[in-house]
Amino acid sequence: MAEEIIRTEHVWKEYMMGDVLFQALKDISISINLGELVSIIGPSGSGKSTLMHIIGLLDQPTRGKIFISGKDIASFTDDKISSLRSEFVGFVFQQFNLINKLTILENILLPTVYVRKKLEYNPVEKALYLMKRFGIDGKEKSYPNKISGGQQQRAAIARALIMSPKLILADEPTGNLDSKSGEEILKLLKELNKEEKITVVIVTHDHLVAKQTKRIIEIKDGKVDK
Amino acid sequence: MNYFGFIITAALFDFSRNKGRTFLTSLGILIGVMSVVLILALGLGLKKYISDQFDSLGANLIYILPGNKKALTSGAGMIGGIKFDDKDVFKVKRVKGVEVVAPVFSKPGVEIEANGKAEIVEIIASFDEINAIMNLQLEAGRLIERRDGEKKTKGIVISPKIAQSLFGNITEAIGKTVEIEGQSFKVIGIYKSKGGGGLGGSDMDSHVFVPASSIYAFNPDKKYYGLYIKAVSKEIIPQVKKDLEEVLLKRYDEKKFCVVDQSEIMTTITQIFNILNLVLVAIAAISLLVGGIGIMNIMYVSVSERIKEIGIRRALGALKQDILSLFLIEAVFLSLIGGLLGVLISSLIVYLVSPIFPAYIDIMAVILALGVSSCIGIVFGVFPAKRAADLSPIDAIRYE
Repeated sequence: MAEEIIRTEHVWKEYMMGDVLFQALKDISISINLGELVSIIGPSGSGKSTLMHIIGLLDQPTRGKIFISGKDIASFTDDKISSLRSEFVGFVFQQFNLINKLTILENILLPTVYVRKKLEYNPVEKALYLMKRFGIDGKEKSYPNKISGGQQQRAAIARALIMSPKLILADEPTGNLDSKSGEEILKLLKELNKEEKITVVIVTHDHLVAKQTKRIIEIKDGKVDK
Repeated sequence: MNYFGFIITAALFDFSRNKGRTFLTSLGILIGVMSVVLILALGLGLKKYISDQFDSLGANLIYILPGNKKALTSGAGMIGGIKFDDKDVFKVKRVKGVEVVAPVFSKPGVEIEANGKAEIVEIIASFDEINAIMNLQLEAGRLIERRDGEKKTKGIVISPKIAQSLFGNITEAIGKTVEIEGQSFKVIGIYKSKGGGGLGGSDMDSHVFVPASSIYAFNPDKKYYGLYIKAVSKEIIPQVKKDLEEVLLKRYDEKKFCVVDQSEIMTTITQIFNILNLVLVAIAAISLLVGGIGIMNIMYVSVSERIKEIGIRRALGALKQDILSLFLIEAVFLSLIGGLLGVLISSLIVYLVSPIFPAYIDIMAVILALGVSSCIGIVFGVFPAKRAADLSPIDAIRYE
């Protein structure tokens, strides 16, 4: 039986928008196993990004439970969740979210700055290896706004991988890229899943992207559609 | 790059991108630190000046003055207090450990005139013993001698400064006549300058010395305002003081006179000075407070501008305390820049004014100023930094 990496149980997320209660997620129960390549698809405003933020420990559900490798995170402190976030998840965002005042190399190394435990590898060597692997070697000292969108997203993936996470959460990773760059990024994510057995969850509104994953979770109006 | 390396790089980048803003923010602290350091420097300089003036007097001195010791510094004791007479001088001379006694009649704020020019001086009327007590060294002519007392010589010993002012030069002054309140005195000598001056007020060089017997016109009952005593050695001063008190208590009430030594007077002056200095420093510190508020304001702006960056850092595993440190270090940097520039500029000012004004910068003042400016960075940076640390990662990362 495959090892479960994430499970949500009856997760609800509600916001107050002015005086109106908005339900972004309604009773979501899903499970993702280690090594899976999954897409979460849904139209704009369906709640797919909210779900990704909750799975990625960036946000907390209003009700319901989140299990990470079988552990309920409800009792975790803010610091413990932050540490878990850095070691367990690597994020890839649509907007890349690189810090413009840091060089590409510094951006990739950023998660290692905040880690409390001793790393078993040399982070700089690993960052340089990832840059070479993703074809952005030579851009170590460049700043994000001086390189192309495709290169920025590759740097963001390298940053997501620097802590050797079990899970990569990619929120519309091709959304800001031309189709060629988008294809290359998808290929890269698929390779990581296949060759390194990293669990990859891609959040997208694009069926063509979703079709390239092994499992599709469809979200509509805050609910799992099937 | 390590943790602090990253934070410092981030802070320096922000400062270099906003040079004008950084400078203006630091300016408040700069002015505050500069004022505090300058006031401390001037205070220290003045204290040293006064202490040097005391040192220029003879050593092992004890003063018997009218009035209560507590009222001594206010001058209240001098007014309406007792005066001493020759009987007291005689008795004091017999106290063990007393080397020399000079009874003194003094009058400050007296006008001395010659050649149509005038100077304000303090006239000190005494005997030849005063030379030893005031540590007077001869520059030209002669000092007051024993025979001047007996002959009631109308002679005067002045400082080079007064001689220069009234007669143009020192050698010209000897033998010339000066007028003090309608009385004529012949300049018999000039003592070596005791330094000081340039501060206004009664410095040591504005003292003029005349034989006590020459000014009975000013002092018809032949009494003295004070008895200046030189003890044989420093060690016996406490015992001599005690004995002197015992002798005088036989004639006067204990509240009517006091026996003090140089160190006591110096302590009192130092105390007054310290209080004055503290008040001035406190006033200057207000500008440090204003500077701190400036830093707090700009740190709030910085947090608002970097909400998304905070979100990214949090998403990548930064703890609340990491974000807090990031902004706190920036705030401390800002105030330290101001502090360092403040110390530099005040050092330059002290260097420039030192030829005309006694001032010097103490290393403790510098350490204090930099310490205080760092503390201001922490105190005023902590609220904006806390705001940044408390942002929800998801709200921050979504912020546009």
